[in-house]
Amino acid sequence: MTATRPICVRCGTPLPEGHPPGRPCPRCLFDAGLGASAPPEGAGVSGSVEASAPPSPESIAPLFPALEILGVIGQGGMGVVYRARQKELGREVALKLLWARAAAHPALEERFLREARTLARLNHPNIVAVHDFGRTGEHLYLVQELVEGTNMRQALRQGRIEPGSALSVVTQVCAGLQYAHEEGVVHRDIKPENILIDGQGRVKIADFGLAKLLEPEGPRERLTQAGEAMGTPQYMAPEQLERPLAVDHRADIYSLGVVFYELLTGELPLGRFAPPSRKVEIDVRLDGVVLKALEKEPELRYQRASEVRTEVENIVNHPEAAPAAEPKKRSALFWIAVVAIPLFLVFLVCAAMIALYTGARVEGPEQVEAVPIESGK
Amino acid sequence: MATSGLPGGFATTRWSLIASLHGGDPRASRAALEELCAAAWYPLYAYARRRGLAVEDARDATQGFFVDLLERGDLARADRERGRFRSFLLAAFQHFLAKRAAAEGAQKRGGGRTILSLDFARAEELYGIEPADEASPEGLYQAAWARGLLDRVVATLGAEYDARDKGELFRALEGELAGDSTPRSELARRLGTSEGAVKVAAHRLRSRYRELLRQAILDTLADPAELEDELSALFEAVGGRRAETP
Repeated sequence: MTATRPICVRCGTPLPEGHPPGRPCPRCLFDAGLGASAPPEGAGVSGSVEASAPPSPESIAPLFPALEILGVIGQGGMGVVYRARQKELGREVALKLLWARAAAHPALEERFLREARTLARLNHPNIVAVHDFGRTGEHLYLVQELVEGTNMRQALRQGRIEPGSALSVVTQVCAGLQYAHEEGVVHRDIKPENILIDGQGRVKIADFGLAKLLEPEGPRERLTQAGEAMGTPQYMAPEQLERPLAVDHRADIYSLGVVFYELLTGELPLGRFAPPSRKVEIDVRLDGVVLKALEKEPELRYQRASEVRTEVENIVNHPEAAPAAEPKKRSALFWIAVVAIPLFLVFLVCAAMIALYTGARVEGPEQVEAVPIESGK
Repeated sequence: MATSGLPGGFATTRWSLIASLHGGDPRASRAALEELCAAAWYPLYAYARRRGLAVEDARDATQGFFVDLLERGDLARADRERGRFRSFLLAAFQHFLAKRAAAEGAQKRGGGRTILSLDFARAEELYGIEPADEASPEGLYQAAWARGLLDRVVATLGAEYDARDKGELFRALEGELAGDSTPRSELARRLGTSEGAVKVAAHRLRSRYRELLRQAILDTLADPAELEDELSALFEAVGGRRAETP
């Protein structure tokens, strides 16, 4: 086994040797053809993601007698999310149905139930709470806290996020991550889509651990319909791309770094990217925080999400005029050094030459005349 | 089933290829054999290797099998009644290997004679990178068949795009064949177009891919009604797992 194997762009599992990189893996390719012409009537979530409409609220209602299904909130690589009401409590919740093929995977189901139990234990203001989970019919499902608001992706689409808001989001994400990491849970798919913001500006991390939960356990046990299950390449730490099964919480810190960069600049830190302060007017000390979170080697990154939070809060609480103004100062000096000084020297040399040339006949005071003579040259 | 609309790979069904083998026209037979080989020989070779045949022996057996197909009347009875071409071919090969083993000592059929230039060096290379797990010879055959089929389908699709001077678009969107993988905004930027245009282009690419895939599989089936089953079988051959209907 080589350390780096290209992975399927769709499901994230390693590609067979010799498979063209960039092309989805054979499983995903066949899966895309399955049921394409005849999606089974009322068979629930099956077939390819885009080919089938999500099951209607009416069709799944019988599966969840304790819930009143109110409508579809969204649909993604992992499944469909419905708005629902718990009849007993009168509380509105988000019901997440995972794609059926995931449910047909016995080992996966077992692991899903095991991991979901851990997730249901997570209790933190910055993490979307899991109220219930299980299997019904062919579906694995999660009943989660309903967050009324938007996600960071939508917010980013609507326009640049104010640096102040970006910092508030990041510190809240750090708080949620730190708590989960202490509980031994790694998110593995931190990205703007999974960061929700409610009406009060409170941040909640969604789909905690779902990436791991839906991830194949071994090379013989692979999942095809999970879609984004293994993380989202643009936000994944280098080690997560190489050894998806062996990452620790520091992979989340890298992903947080990518999100941080994107929140500040509106761009992804791809290739040789510029520090954020080169792109937007922010405290240059933030560059150091973002870059350290984005270190390729996990050992060089922040080791705890709380460290990122502390540094950001320090910067927010101790604004320093000097560092913020530094780039401008430096650039003024730069222009002085590059343009003004040589110009001045040229002027001096010319003036000296003219002085020498004319000096034989004219005395010092006539030097003023050097100016029109020089410009005439 | 209409296949005329498909340039390249699947102009003829596999079953009609078998028929042309015995059609009497030697040139047509030869062409049919070569097309048949292109699709089938590596999976059969891998099967023989996984069965424990040494490199030389597997090479010999694969050549010999195709000699048989061409020269003997073995396949005369290979009509469409036999169902799936994939299964039929493996059964025929297994039969051939059994006969060959029985004829141990006598000159092996096909031995020493080369009728097709099969790139066995390349085959052994491919076999060398097959996962050395517990896959049975049959499992390996099915997987190699399935992957070969996909390779041809994607190559045909790529050729179609190339023919319309859209090769670049195809390569940019190849990752989206099985569904959205890369953010549309990213693709739009790469292609210098709008997200809406990317969405439409990816949708078209996927529709065409599915069409070609299903057609390629239909070509190997006697009964078109078996399409979904065969698709599932291939999906499982490459490690996929379908939802069981309760």
